[in-house]
This record gives sequence, structure tokens and C-alpha cells, in this order.
Amino acid sequence: MNEIKSLEHATLKVPYEVFNKKYRNAQRILDVEARQVGSAAGDLDTSARKSGVTTGEIDSLLGGMVEKLTTMKRKASEAINEEVQAAYVCKKRLEHLKEQAEALQDPTSAQTSLNHWRKVRLDRMLVDYFLRNGYYDSANKLADAKNLRELTNVDIYQAAAEVERELAARRTARCLHLQWCADNKSKLRKLGSTMEFNIRIQEFIELVREDKRLEAVRYAKKHFSTYEKEQLEDIQHCMGMLAFPKDTEVEPYRSLLAGGRWRALVAQFRAEHARLLHPARLPALPAALQLGLAALNTPQCAGGSAQAAGCPACCAPLSALARTLPHAHCSHSRLVCRISHEPLNEHNQPMALPNGQVYGEKALKEMMKEHGSIICPKTKEVFCMKRVEKVYVM
Amino acid sequence: MDSCLGVEQDLDKATSKFNALNDHTNKVLEDIITQVEDLRKEISKQPPNSPLTQTQAMVLSDLAANVKQTVFQMSTEHRELHATVSRVGKSIDRHFIVDYASVAPKAESFCSDTNRPIMEQAIAQHLYREGLEEVGDVFVEEAGVGAVERTCAFAALQRCAAALAAGDPAPALHWAQRRSHQLLHSPLPFALHTVHTLKLAREQGVGAAIEYAREQFPAHAARHEKQLAATVCALAWLTPGAGPPPAHYHRLLDQRALGAEAAELFLREACALLRLAPLSPLAGAVMAGARVIPALHDIRAKMTHQHVAAAWADDELPLEVELGAEGGGYHSVFACPILRQQASDANPPMRLLCGHVISRDALHKLAMGVKLKCPYCPMEQSPSEARQIYFS
Repeated sequence: MNEIKSLEHATLKVPYEVFNKKYRNAQRILDVEARQVGSAAGDLDTSARKSGVTTGEIDSLLGGMVEKLTTMKRKASEAINEEVQAAYVCKKRLEHLKEQAEALQDPTSAQTSLNHWRKVRLDRMLVDYFLRNGYYDSANKLADAKNLRELTNVDIYQAAAEVERELAARRTARCLHLQWCADNKSKLRKLGSTMEFNIRIQEFIELVREDKRLEAVRYAKKHFSTYEKEQLEDIQHCMGMLAFPKDTEVEPYRSLLAGGRWRALVAQFRAEHARLLHPARLPALPAALQLGLAALNTPQCAGGSAQAAGCPACCAPLSALARTLPHAHCSHSRLVCRISHEPLNEHNQPMALPNGQVYGEKALKEMMKEHGSIICPKTKEVFCMKRVEKVYVM
Repeated sequence: MDSCLGVEQDLDKATSKFNALNDHTNKVLEDIITQVEDLRKEISKQPPNSPLTQTQAMVLSDLAANVKQTVFQMSTEHRELHATVSRVGKSIDRHFIVDYASVAPKAESFCSDTNRPIMEQAIAQHLYREGLEEVGDVFVEEAGVGAVERTCAFAALQRCAAALAAGDPAPALHWAQRRSHQLLHSPLPFALHTVHTLKLAREQGVGAAIEYAREQFPAHAARHEKQLAATVCALAWLTPGAGPPPAHYHRLLDQRALGAEAAELFLREACALLRLAPLSPLAGAVMAGARVIPALHDIRAKMTHQHVAAAWADDELPLEVELGAEGGGYHSVFACPILRQQASDANPPMRLLCGHVISRDALHKLAMGVKLKCPYCPMEQSPSEARQIYFS
């Protein structure tokens, strides 16, 4: 296993889903166009068999056929080009992953490029996190600042951002959300989504709010007739609402008319959109962050007095998160000097002061040179070098 | 690498098939359009009111059947690509791990209403630290993050490093010159002068570069003799019309790689000087996490036994992960060499009279009454002579 195999599934899978969608779209276009041309050909065939048909009629039929064939040619080529473009996005990301894979395999390769790649990965994770939490402007800004548009999903989320903006503004006029539902109908059904139903209910509520009750009934007739079993109660609530004024205090009608329903719709849309695209429920950032904090977390981190500068599990604000996490497992000692932050080993022997505090030999010698005695940084006790003893840690 | 190659193979196959299909469709449709148009021309030669001849009618039906068959064939051909497309998806699923987050059972809690603001505060901190003020501002606004320090000492360094990586050593040189007395033993000033010299050679000609080198290099000659010679030599390949340089000059002549290398050195040295961590807490934690995840996936793959499941719930990660030179190392961790366990307040490290350190539990286990033999040296002593020591 390596970092790529473990973490980059979504990096490829999301553009693949787009590719797959484009494929299905192209298939639909081809089918429709083929049917059109086919019916034109059928017309031509029947006319040709009819007795007494004139060449003029045939000429216009043939003209129509050429037109249809040309449209088909144009549309087919457009659709297939889109597919190839979508596949190219996958390819592009694969190339980026390969860069790192090669560097990981080759131990002689420069650390610099690996570090750079890891920085880019963090930026990609951040963009992904932003997108999945609806921080679209931040995602766009960061992707542009770091030139990451192709390696992240900002463009794929563009449409979703628009739908969300519309839902948040409580507008249903452009029906972007319903169109989105229609576009992804089969997949949504597979996931058992209630998105479309909830939007329909919302539209019904809006009609009631505007006191267009007759229109609301018509809307209900049209859209609620094909309900699922478990939706019956919701529909009954809706219909019950018709009998109440729009500023009613009676539940559940009051909460149906409340503005919070729109916010819930936004949240539901965001979750379902992510579910369609992402196989994993969580973005990579919190997962990596959690495990990273756990790996850096030592019992001292929560202690307060023993905090180390720069340790992510010690510094605010992440220390608050680290406190709830497991500690790193450790079967071999790994010592660092608390004064110089350098590792303690045979080149920098750990030394115990008479009060039991351990520091590095180098730092203590330095202190001797400067002050002529050793002042324990922790307890402020003063010792001379003679009373400092070596410590052997296996 | 294998996982990338596996997916690439399937993806390339799909792309080439789609490209071939595109060409094929275009060609077939082109042909059929010409056929129809030819026939139309032929028929339009007759006056529009004349009746259709028997042969013409037959040709027309043939054509109609032909057209019909071709277009349906086309949609069938496209449909047949479905297997190729879905193979790419399956290949991705097979070569990469789908539910990466399942080894981080507490990650979900990071997205809860209490923890999310903390995490997002760390993100904002990271953005500002990286010098991305604009992105940070938008993010703070959008996510409603509470108070975050907007300026930080690291951001200034980051800007110098970014400019350096982009090929402009001026801000970094300026920074280094102001602190030249603290950088006497650092390789940084010389590295920056190298970048600048090579840049001058590229932009203003080798003459200017040599002039600059004469001015700056002598001070560094003693410590960097070899590199100095290499840098000046490299100038030879920057004259117009020079041939391709030999392999060991590639590093110096590759502007981007040299810039990136110098930028990293700059960040490392400057952080050491200012006592800053080279990575933001978020970046440090995420980098460590990215190393932990594959290891956890590894053992998850191996763990089939029921009783191992308890390891997830325990208060330690179930394994030790080497975090590399840059990850970890913030704290001293003492693990008892006898019990192979991390020391704790209940089981602190004890220094034996001979200087060897073991944990108190191990000491009690090894002691025989008032006698104790050090497990690492021949010295005999009393357990009461051991003394508790503190690593933190």
C-alpha cells in the first residue's frame, strides 16, 4: 500500500463518473438522432413505393434527410468529443498521480519534488473539502491561486453551486434543481433519494404561501399522484395545509411553512450531489487530519506544561481535537532535547540533571559556556556540570 | 505505481476506442450524406412533376434501408463501448481504496457542529500562513470562521520562498542579507547567490553574471569551493549557441528545479533561525495522516480475527508508523526497552545507578528482593537506588 492507493480513489473516480455520464448522454443523443433519421428513411421508403409520386416530392424528402444526417453528424461528433474530453480529465489526474508514484519508488529522487507534490495534495484536499461543504468561492479562489482547476473538481461542481445558490435564494423559477433531479433520475432512484419529492412539496408550499390554493391542488394532482408508500403522510400534511391560513400556529403546518425547510433542502441537495459523485462519505481532509493528529499525539500533548512548539497536537486550535483522539503507538524510544529540539542519540547524549530532568548534552554544554552553570529550564534550579549524569536509553 | 498503470491501461484503451469511433462515425456519415446528395442531384435533373420510374423507386428504397441500417448500427457501436467505459470505473475501484475513511472512525466527529469550527479555524490559519490572504478572507467569510490571526511571520517567508521557486531570488536575498550575521554557518546565502548568478546569466548575459559572482562569491569560497567552481563552469552553457550540457550540470541549469530546491533550503534555514515550524499544524498533521492511512489499510487487510477489532477502540493507534524526518519528533517519547511500552505517569522512566533507563514496572519485575541486576550491563545494585527521571 502507498499513499496514492490509499488516498486517491476519489481523485480518479469523480472525473470517471463525469465521463460515464457523458457516455450515457452521448448514447441518448445518438439514439434520438438515429430514430429521427430512421423515421425520415421510413418516410422515404413508403413514398417511393407509393404509385404516382413525383420527383419533386422525393427531392424535398431527400433534402430533409440530408439535413437530418448532417445534424446527426454534428451532434454525434460533439457528443463523442465531450466524452473524449472527460476521459482526458481522468488522464490528466492520472499523470499527476504517476509523478508521485515514480518519485516514491525511486529512492534517489529529490525530496524537493516529493515535498512539493505533498503540498499540492494538501491544496487539493482543501479544495475538495471546500467544495463538499459548499464553500464554492473559497474553492475557486484556492484552485485559481494554485493553478489546480484540472486536478480538482471545481468545474464539476459549478452546476451544483448554481443549483444551491438558487435553492438558498428560495427561487424555484428556473427549475435548475428539478432539471438536476431529472438528469440524474436513475441514479437518484437507486440511492432511494427523496430530493425530488421534497422539492415538489416545497413548490406546493410556495403556492399555498402565495394563496394560489387552486393552483396548488392542480399541482398536487399532477405531481403527487405517483407517490411511494412512505410519502403518503407527507402528502396528507400538505393537503391538510390547504385548510389553514398561511400564518397558522398549528403543527405540522407551521413548520412546513417555515423558512428552515429551504435550508434543509440546500443541505439535502449538497449531500445527495456528493453521494452521486463520491463513493466515500467523508472528504479526505478530516480523515487524514484525524489520523495525523493521532499519530502525533503523545500523552504529554494534553499536559499543558510539556507542550512543544510546532507540534500540531499541542498547538491551538487543533489541540482541542487531538485531546479526544488515541495516542500514537510507540515501542521504541524517540527522544528530543527540549532545549534545542534536536534528537537525542549517540551524538547528542541524553543527560539527567540531579532533579531527574533530561536534556541534551550539546544544549547543556552550550548553557555552561554562556552562564557558567546549568539552570533547569523547567524548575529553574541551578546545578554544576559535574552533577549531571549520563542516561542510557536502549 | 502499479495501481496508476493499471488504471491508465484501461483508460487509454477507452480513449483510443472513442477516438476511433469518432473518426469512424464521421466517415460513415460523410459517405452516406454524399450518397444521398448524389441521388438527389440525379433525381432533380428531371422536371419536378415527372413521376418516379420503377428503378428509381427501387434505388430509393434501397437507400432508405441502407441509411436506416447505418445509423442504427452507429448507435449500437456506441452502446457496445459501455463495457470499455465501465471497465475504467471498475479498474479504479480495484486499484484504489474506496472507503479510505473507514480506518479513521473518529474523522466523522471532526465534521460535527462543535469540532468543525475548530478544524476550519486551523484551515484558515493554514491559508494565512501560506500567504494566501485572499483565499483565507473568502473562506473565513464563507465558513463563518471565528477570530484568526491574519498576519504571521511565516507568511513573509513563504512569499520569499514562492518568489524564489518562481525564479526571483531578490526578496530572499534581501531577507538573508539583513540576517547575514546569523547565517554565517548556513549554506543559504551561497545557494541564493548561485540562483541569482545563473538568473543574471540568462537575462543579462554571462558578463553580468561573472561580475556579480566576482563581487559575491569570494566570501563563500572557503566553504563551498566545489559548488562555486561548478556554478561558474555552468555559466559556459548559458552563452548563446552553447551545446547541450553534460549530465552533472543539469541540476544547476534546470531553472525550476534549482529554484524549488533553493526555496526549500530557504524555508528550512529561515524557520530554524526564527524558531518556526516549517509546516503549519494542519499541514503537519495531514502529512502525518497520509502516512498513517496506508499502514492502517495494510493491517486492516491482514486483520481478519475478531479480537483484533478491539484495537481500534483502544487508547493507542494499533501500530507504530515512521513519520519521516519532518513528521513527528516534537516530543520525547520514552518506551521501556523491557516492556516495549510507552512510559506513563503510572509507570515512569527510572534511571538505574549504572545510567540505563527502564520503566518502573519493569524495575519491579526484575528486582529480586533488595538486589537488581541491570539487564544491559553486569552491574548489581539495589532497586531503591534507581531514580525517576523526566523527559518532558
